Amino acid sequence: MEGNGASRRVLQEAGIKETDLVIACTSRDEVNIVAGILSERLAPEARTIVRTQNVEYLEVWRERQLDVDFVVSSELETANAIARIVGIPAARQTDVFAEGQVLMVEFDVPIGAEPNQTIGQALRNAVIPADSKVASIIRGDRMIVPRGDEAIQPGDRVIVIGSPAAARAWSGIFAQGRVRANDVVVFGAGDTGVAIARVLLEEGTLVRVVESSPERARTVAEDLPDARVFNATAMDADFIKRENIGTADAAIFAMQSDEKNLYAATLAKIHGVALTVAVVTEPASAIVLERAGVDIVINPRMVTAEEIVRFAHDPRIRQMAMIEGDRFEILDITVREDSQFLGKPFRDLPMTGSLIGAIVRGDTAIFPHGDDMLLAGDRAIIFAEAARVRQVERAL
Amino acid sequence: MRPALGVDLSGALNLVGRMVKYFSVAFLFPIAVGLGYGDPIWPFAAAGAITAAFGWGLERFTKGGESIGAREGFLVVSLTWALSAFAISVSYMFGEAQLRFPIDAYFESMSGMTTTGASVLTDIPALNHTMSLWRCFSQWLGGMGIVVLSLAILPRLRVGGGRALVESEMPGPEYEPLASSIRTTARRLWLIYVGLTGLMILILSIFGWVGIDDLMSPYQAAAHAFTTLPTGGFSPQARSVVPFAAASQWVMIVFMVLAGANFALHYRILRKRFNPLRDEEFRAYIVIILIASLLLFIELLRSDIYSAGETAVRQSVFQVVSIMTTTGYASADFVKWTVLTSLTLVAVMLIGGCAGSTGGAIKVARHVLIGKLLRRELDQTIHREVVLPIRLNGRVVDERTLRAILAFGVIYVGLFLAGTLVLTIDAARSGLDVTVLDALGASATTLGNVGPGFGFAGPFGSFDPFSPFAKVVMIVLMWAGRLEIIPIAVLLTRRYWRA
Repeated sequence: MEGNGASRRVLQEAGIKETDLVIACTSRDEVNIVAGILSERLAPEARTIVRTQNVEYLEVWRERQLDVDFVVSSELETANAIARIVGIPAARQTDVFAEGQVLMVEFDVPIGAEPNQTIGQALRNAVIPADSKVASIIRGDRMIVPRGDEAIQPGDRVIVIGSPAAARAWSGIFAQGRVRANDVVVFGAGDTGVAIARVLLEEGTLVRVVESSPERARTVAEDLPDARVFNATAMDADFIKRENIGTADAAIFAMQSDEKNLYAATLAKIHGVALTVAVVTEPASAIVLERAGVDIVINPRMVTAEEIVRFAHDPRIRQMAMIEGDRFEILDITVREDSQFLGKPFRDLPMTGSLIGAIVRGDTAIFPHGDDMLLAGDRAIIFAEAARVRQVERAL
Repeated sequence: MRPALGVDLSGALNLVGRMVKYFSVAFLFPIAVGLGYGDPIWPFAAAGAITAAFGWGLERFTKGGESIGAREGFLVVSLTWALSAFAISVSYMFGEAQLRFPIDAYFESMSGMTTTGASVLTDIPALNHTMSLWRCFSQWLGGMGIVVLSLAILPRLRVGGGRALVESEMPGPEYEPLASSIRTTARRLWLIYVGLTGLMILILSIFGWVGIDDLMSPYQAAAHAFTTLPTGGFSPQARSVVPFAAASQWVMIVFMVLAGANFALHYRILRKRFNPLRDEEFRAYIVIILIASLLLFIELLRSDIYSAGETAVRQSVFQVVSIMTTTGYASADFVKWTVLTSLTLVAVMLIGGCAGSTGGAIKVARHVLIGKLLRRELDQTIHREVVLPIRLNGRVVDERTLRAILAFGVIYVGLFLAGTLVLTIDAARSGLDVTVLDALGASATTLGNVGPGFGFAGPFGSFDPFSPFAKVVMIVLMWAGRLEIIPIAVLLTRRYWRA
């Protein structure tokens, strides 16, 4: 139906009373908040999720001054996603589970990668960093179940589940010499750009911000004392050269216009920036930018959607992530007492196109081997095809 | 036809009249002291009466302004200071033979009110108790500012432009309010001021009483507290603070450092347990004192003026603190030291105390900010597009304020050099033996409200040999220096007066 979500009448007509879940995700923060608060009042049973752009509303909610069940800030989610990517070289996407003990990382194996003990070896013989598993290999459009006789080839996209140390080890294998980005340039100091700069600065990264509006540049320079802010356009090749932008480990493009982001990212590549990350406004632009050679394209709506779905899923599921668009999901699910898999060693579990990457027992993460067993109450971190998610939920 | 006047002249004069009228109350102090010591009190009674009558008359024959704005504020503050100093000079003319000549009397009273501490007296011990203490007390009155005092205690002085008045009078680039109302801020500042003065009198009196310092009578304690807290520098002694015990001198060092620090900072330390070392200006202030003291210490040892020990340390620290906070005491005749020590002292003379202190000169905060401006300029020479807001204590300082600070620095140095030039030319004209260093010293010491200069105007000397014209120049320098030049300089522009 069509109507204003911040109107009580419209909400009532939409049947708010019988609703289990309300997601307020229009493009205007204030409308979402009003709709969220109204729904919380009209239907106390329903769970309400509010999407905002501004990080400030998230802070208000965390201080319990905003009466809705869940607030997700697309700026902050985007910023965190980018910070994780630049934190692990060669990673395309990173998701964190079990309070940071388990990481799911998607890597691109460089096309020109030299075969070594890992690349080009059958998996059963290859050197795999401890406490980690290869969840999937994507070659072209095909997804390959990583059996023992499969090998990781240059040009593959590999999805790995493991401990943070293992993720770094994998990164070392694929990045081949590239180190964690310590020098990052953010183009475009809009709210998203500033949120990204803030998260990176908190991690101790050296951040340069480039903004074309003099007033905005001044404001941002005042707000971010630790960043170096430049008032210049991202299209200015002289500027890029003069300020040695090319030596940066990563450049992030968060300008309003996707076209500008593409032009600027290409220019940065020409000047030698190792990793370019673009934040797109139009979902349709993502494929264009990716094809044109931007290393990583982030769609804030996708990131936010993931966060919302995580919350809206089965109550047993604490956290989940979507990979490769929505082809795969990572589930963080608590094992029921009547689960059919209890007490069976891992090597005897059926292959169902899904994989248990880690289990969290008590407070510690275990990266299971063939003779480990599932116990009731374990939190299992599972990599599954989207189509099989229901099946996995039922089985556990 | 004459262009319309843009300033509420009548309203401004009315307010000046009112403040001058109330200022006459100050003369009750020497009258009370005079009655106690049996000194003649008529000079003070007469000067007080003339001041009251003049103020009353000025108020009577002008119409009070509805609201005194920032514009009138400059005129009010400048005139109030000039007239208050004049009121005190009347009592000097009547009561002290050495100050019979009006320019001498005005020099002495302006030096007192502006807390400079330069003197044209040649025989200080010849002053009677009352006159000597009154001279010190005049510094105490001027220290925290007479407009601030008026706002703090006069119930009927409710003026719209209070903030503008305080800003013109308070030293430093930015006025830091301690409360939402000007009156409460003014009261708190004066309370700290009175409290520190009382504490210093108490400590020094105890030193005299228990025999640590036999010369330190309660009278001496009060006289020196009255001239330490305003960073004034007058002393009833002929040889400044030389006769006092080392312990007393150390106490003076501590209180000079406190007086040269921001009083708003004192408030925060007392009320909010603020750690002063987290304040950028205070940190710079202490570091400069330490570096300059070390420089002096090394030079004193190197040139065999002192041997290593407590005396050498104390003499270095005392002189640096006294000159840098613009107090102007001397615990040794530093004029007789070396060229390097003199230059170091001239250098700290130009730095001065902290913003919001009773000290004079350019102020540490301005130096810190000018330093940051220069660093930014160098950075931007290479990185043309970089945007660098300048911060002090983490807070962004707006570009307008920065420009004003730069302008102040330039005007200050300009006036300092102009003063040096005029004094040198005048000395040549009147056949006075004034070296370049002496002229630099005299100009810097009066403009910075420090006190002693070099040559015959050294700490134990006198400014008396200067020609009357040179004295007038220095009176203007002291006046301009105390009000930080701008409030007086704008009065000289045509735009100030035009509608």
